[in-house]
Amino acid sequence: MMQIDVDRAVCVGAGQCALTAPDVFDQDDDGLVVLLDPNAAEDPESEGGTAVRDAEALCPSRAIRVTG
Amino acid sequence: MTACPLGHGARVLPADSMPTQPSALFARWRDADALVPLDFRDGHEGLLVTRYDEAKEVLSDRRFSQQPQRMPRSDAQLDDGFPGGPLDDAGALAVASTNILGLDGEEHRRLRKAVTGRFSVRAGRTHRPRIAEIVAEELENLIAAGPVADLLEHFAEPISIRVHALVLGVSDDLVDRYAQCFVHGAPPQDRHDLLREAIEVRRADPGEDVISDLLANDDLSAAEVEGLLHMLSMSGRDTVAFMISTGTVALLDSAEQYRTLVADPDLVPGAVEEIVRFCTMFLTVFPRTATEDVEIADRTIAAGTTVSVSTVSANRDERRFEDPDAFDVRRDARGHVAFGHGPHGCIGQQVARVELDEAFRALVTRLPGLQLVSTGQHEPSPLANPVATYAARPVLVTGWER
Ligand code: HEM
Ligand code: SF4
Repeated sequence: MMQIDVDRAVCVGAGQCALTAPDVFDQDDDGLVVLLDPNAAEDPESEGGTAVRDAEALCPSRAIRVTG
Repeated sequence: MTACPLGHGARVLPADSMPTQPSALFARWRDADALVPLDFRDGHEGLLVTRYDEAKEVLSDRRFSQQPQRMPRSDAQLDDGFPGGPLDDAGALAVASTNILGLDGEEHRRLRKAVTGRFSVRAGRTHRPRIAEIVAEELENLIAAGPVADLLEHFAEPISIRVHALVLGVSDDLVDRYAQCFVHGAPPQDRHDLLREAIEVRRADPGEDVISDLLANDDLSAAEVEGLLHMLSMSGRDTVAFMISTGTVALLDSAEQYRTLVADPDLVPGAVEEIVRFCTMFLTVFPRTATEDVEIADRTIAAGTTVSVSTVSANRDERRFEDPDAFDVRRDARGHVAFGHGPHGCIGQQVARVELDEAFRALVTRLPGLQLVSTGQHEPSPLANPVATYAARPVLVTGWER
């Protein structure tokens, strides 16, 4: 099972996550990351799984962690 | 390469870089080492980061400080086009309180958080229809400017400044003066006087924009409101315009790349990433100074050493991008560091992406026969900024048949 965690304390509001996986990540009124759907990437092989992994890699502040 | 007069082997940024073709020296430096010696203007001998992985490491490591703000030495001439002049105390305080690229840690985070909300992906989406209208109007102005016209002056700059005004909330009647102040260059006092007027308009008539947010934020002083607005106006004034105009050069340099987008405009979002990678504007970003000994690339950067990251070089690192000197709109260029990286990564990047997307989409769908006549971007570039960014110069184009 793939788990997504976001760390709003280190997020710098660059928006790469919301650009890359818009169904999974959004940004609040301060521009900081909001996890819309913690289970969005259940299947790591699915398209959603790829996008979440991409978002993790593209995040400039390592605020996104995908485990499992 | 310029020999160091002191014979220490310290080096300076070369003067023979062109915006679409960095100096060959960068490839040699990259080949030699991830970190090479670099001279700074105050005589400090620091380091230049030449490779991609190490660039990201340095830019995201909080043991590096934004202070002191020393600037790298370069053989290229400096030409920022902005006249100097006196500035009243309120203006000086505003600027001094909001030097976002000079701050670290919580101080930096507090100011940054005050503005990031208006530059989110969602904000970009909200602004997209209006941005498309602005782009369409400026495309007509480009065509009307003559059989051969400068795409920088008649397309890229007006789009960049009008969208900037839109997002920040500078009212329409002030946009011409705003352009005068922040595109063509005006003395500091004129810039601050104009921004104060723009602030008063929004105080009386708040909207969905940065100025209104700043005014509604009890946590900010009046100096910080004016300062943040000034800082944001200086930040985006030239980068988007540079990227639209220089990106057009890259696309037209190889007719095949432009035709690829004409045939399939859905490739434009990916092309935008490749354009900002290939035409990276910052030879080096703001220098970082180690606050303690830091291990990078199997060596120790001693506390007190200033390190400049070359995003131009990192984005041409063959360890990360295959055949990096090839411009290919079909490549997956995501992950480039053209917008920086880490806590100071570009605030405006998601809005910039929408602007670039709409601008290139308009060009390839409405002007399929566009051709490059000549451009200053094919010559070694002066620096538009002491941190070492390329300058934007005219891009003459023709071919309006639709
Ligand atoms: C294609 C266009 C743009 C490019 C290539 C670009 C590039 C960059 C880069 C490389 C940095 C990091 C500098 C460093 O780490 O030393 C940066 C920071 C910044 N950019 Fe942009 N930028 C663009 C558009 C914009 C726009 C439209 C705005 C809107 C106002 C903007 C506002 C800022 C601000 C405020 C910072 C400082 C962030 C901080 O220190 O936390 N940029 N930009
Ligand atoms: S990509 Fe990272 S830093 Fe940017 S908004 Fe998402 S979580 Fe925050």
